[in-house]
Amino acid sequence: MVREKETTLYLGPQHPGITGNMMVKLKVQGDTVVSASTHVGYLHRAFEKLIERRNWIQAFTLLCRFCVPEPDPMELTYARAVEELDNREVPERAKYIRVIVMELARMQSFMLWYAGQSGSAGLYLTPQWSVGDRNYILDLFEDLTGGRIYHMYIWPGGVRRDLPKGWTDKTLRTMDYIEKRLDEYNKILFDNTIFQKRAQGVGIVPKDKAIEWGVVGPVLRGTGIRSDVRIDEPYEVYDKIDFDIPTQEGGDVWARALVRKEEVRQSIRIIRQAIADMPEGEYYNKVSNPMKWTVPAGQAWARTESVRGEIGFHVTSDGGNKPYRVHVKGAAYTHGVTVLEKILPGQNIADVSFILNSLGVCPPEIER
Amino acid sequence: MTDLLKENKLLDAITTSFKIEGKVIRDHRVEVNADKNTVSSILLFVKNQLGYIHLAHMTCVDWIDQGEYEMIYTVYSPVDKITLFVKARIDREKPIMENIDTIWDQANTYEREMREMFGIEFPGLIGEHDFILEDWDQIPPMRKEFDTHKYAAETFFTRPGREDAKDVREEINKRSGAKVPDFAKKYSRE
Repeated sequence: MVREKETTLYLGPQHPGITGNMMVKLKVQGDTVVSASTHVGYLHRAFEKLIERRNWIQAFTLLCRFCVPEPDPMELTYARAVEELDNREVPERAKYIRVIVMELARMQSFMLWYAGQSGSAGLYLTPQWSVGDRNYILDLFEDLTGGRIYHMYIWPGGVRRDLPKGWTDKTLRTMDYIEKRLDEYNKILFDNTIFQKRAQGVGIVPKDKAIEWGVVGPVLRGTGIRSDVRIDEPYEVYDKIDFDIPTQEGGDVWARALVRKEEVRQSIRIIRQAIADMPEGEYYNKVSNPMKWTVPAGQAWARTESVRGEIGFHVTSDGGNKPYRVHVKGAAYTHGVTVLEKILPGQNIADVSFILNSLGVCPPEIER
Repeated sequence: MTDLLKENKLLDAITTSFKIEGKVIRDHRVEVNADKNTVSSILLFVKNQLGYIHLAHMTCVDWIDQGEYEMIYTVYSPVDKITLFVKARIDREKPIMENIDTIWDQANTYEREMREMFGIEFPGLIGEHDFILEDWDQIPPMRKEFDTHKYAAETFFTRPGREDAKDVREEINKRSGAKVPDFAKKYSRE
């Protein structure tokens, strides 16, 4: 047996396989990773500190930028934490609108994952398709909120404006289109032998360690554990909607991909039900003067299921017109550091980006 | 209205075992206030005996007026579906807190961040010192007395022409002599 020399390899901070600037320092022997450590610090923007200098509403301009592919779950989680502190009721119609927005956000984020996951396997047709199709969802967001990526649409007390005329019909048409496209995606990605061979048995998260390691979302469900904030602690109107939580056994990249593939279909199912069941009425329990609004002193913890798993906001108020402290914990905080460092040893160098994508690592969320 | 049976049972189990105060905040939410030296024992107890195996979050709140940091450990039970907050206060001048990365590996990341951002020491904490901030020589930036405006003014230079945050259109006008359109008039509906 030939003993190969151990060398150090730096993956990132600029690398097409990483969604944002982050470095993974790898010790490798031949093609095999011996150890890995995550280095962040390239994207620190001190958002949590800056939020302390802004009032409750101004914070929205910052917090939707915690993680670029997923602005809406951040808005909703913060809004829910502030509503809990302020004891503010949300109108029923706004709850339905929020659910629709969250599921659209899940779908557009799925499209980005789909692009990244297949791109890191060397399959370049799928990213073209999915990023193209994602635009149809961004069109819906643009019609609804005026913005394609950052919306600042969900506010404490509801949503900022009602649905535009004809928006629900357009949304239903888009859902029909995307549902058809998902069958085609299956043919080019999930039925593709290259993807299957690359994904099966790679980047395994052990089921017995998953929860202890802080694994959440599709990665956790890929180990066979049925856990989802939408059913464990239902928020908005998720308890009134009929949907399934898909799980898979194995804990590898393949299992996580199959979970996501099914989840996006569930999102379509949720959106159709929410549009059908949505009542007429108020959409915003108005804050009288948002710029002078004070929130009663206290602490609140809100959590929401994003496409990558649980997002939690811990919000502290001292009774003033600004948040005293806001701390966010996204899925990437554990997936991108502890989990990644634990599952990379023994993997092939070529699979590192592939595993990173399947864990849903979003570097700006780690350092904020 | 739920009867909060599970929440009260959890609170009783902890408060009687450790002789500490706590309360049920609402359904799915329980908090206990612990001494800083018993936090790791409580966390071990709830993890091993009561099934609170998911460390959902760890945070620190700087109560500068009271001279204290508030450490908050958020743990969750996938069976009970209850979130438990274990809170403890530490002195903010010499902040030292028990290291719990032997209980949950992922706590290491939170503790490294808090060491940089609040200056809290966690004895026995493994990990390279620089996590997010590199070569930082100021006070820990998440402390309340750290002034971001002052730091920015002293550290970064201002782009010529923006020393006092002037209207950029006026500055362009002055330098190039070009006429800046009056947008308010141009787009007026009258």
